[in-house]
Amino acid sequence: MGDFLYGLTEWLRSTALVDFALNVSEWPFSQWVVSQFWAIPILQMVHIFAIAGSFAAVLMLNLRVFHLAGHATLAETARRYTRVLWWSLGFVILSGVLMLFGDTVRNLINSVFWIKMVMVVIAIVLAIVFANNLGRQYRTTTGDTEVVGGGVKATAILLVILWCAIMFAGRWIAYAPA
Amino acid sequence: MYPEPTNLWERIEYSSLGITIAESTWMFPTIETLHVIALVTVIGTIAIVDLRLIGVASKGHRVSLLAKDTLPLTWAAFALAAITGGLLFVSKASSYMINPYFLWKLVLLALAGLNMMYLHLTTWRTVEHWERDPSFPFQAKLAGWLSLVFWIGVVFCGRMIGFTLGVFY
Repeated sequence: MGDFLYGLTEWLRSTALVDFALNVSEWPFSQWVVSQFWAIPILQMVHIFAIAGSFAAVLMLNLRVFHLAGHATLAETARRYTRVLWWSLGFVILSGVLMLFGDTVRNLINSVFWIKMVMVVIAIVLAIVFANNLGRQYRTTTGDTEVVGGGVKATAILLVILWCAIMFAGRWIAYAPA
Repeated sequence: MYPEPTNLWERIEYSSLGITIAESTWMFPTIETLHVIALVTVIGTIAIVDLRLIGVASKGHRVSLLAKDTLPLTWAAFALAAITGGLLFVSKASSYMINPYFLWKLVLLALAGLNMMYLHLTTWRTVEHWERDPSFPFQAKLAGWLSLVFWIGVVFCGRMIGFTLGVFY
């Protein structure tokens, strides 16, 4: 795994990303973020709270889908927590992009960062599929006979695993071979 | 070789567990990741109840049912956060104990715990009488606000530890 990550970083170093990252780090906004001691910690806090919102929403939807918790109907639960999920994801992306300006080169020329980005894209697509499936699910559900399909359950579990993997990658960006 | 410990914190840090974590290339980041996963679960699930208490979200839902849904997850995640936090502490105990942000984090965690305990021992006892009212009692709203402030503080201090560990001697 270490060799793969090292090889990927070496390849990233041979691309136009290096010039781009160096260029971005010279932008006035990047310089401003770097010069403000509190900018990065505050952006990281926003990022953590946004992750907390999206992860908690995914967990609560999981618990409801598997009948482990949730006093409300599937329709109500889905409506409530998918809204939290979209808003939180918005803040995750916004704070994540802003944080990039604080350390552009270390992030863009980093194998773990790009693995994380691929997983984030997959997670967003999967979340959209999950929300759509939930919507379809509760439209076909009548009264007490609430049956959740295997596909919805599988997507729910996959989303939790993906979020954990994204958080794992997020923390390991700082430890990746550079 | 490590020097002879001169106080309790160094004794913890130079224990076989502390040295194993500190010297490993993967243990500290892995434990740290699990700590983050546990922490965001605690904060996310607590915020669901807090935001209901202060009247910002889930207004159509009974707060006792929301708490019943989230609390098992909150406690499980809190246990994981405490275990992983303890392991991180063991690996650098003396550096943590002189770091003001770490000490403030402990204080804020204690305050968050006391706030929750006070709510449950007082206003929460009559929750069934007021949870259907359009507005909650002042004490319940205050507990929700305080909880949010304390947990924001916990995250802030936690993040600042990463920027200042080894700065204080």
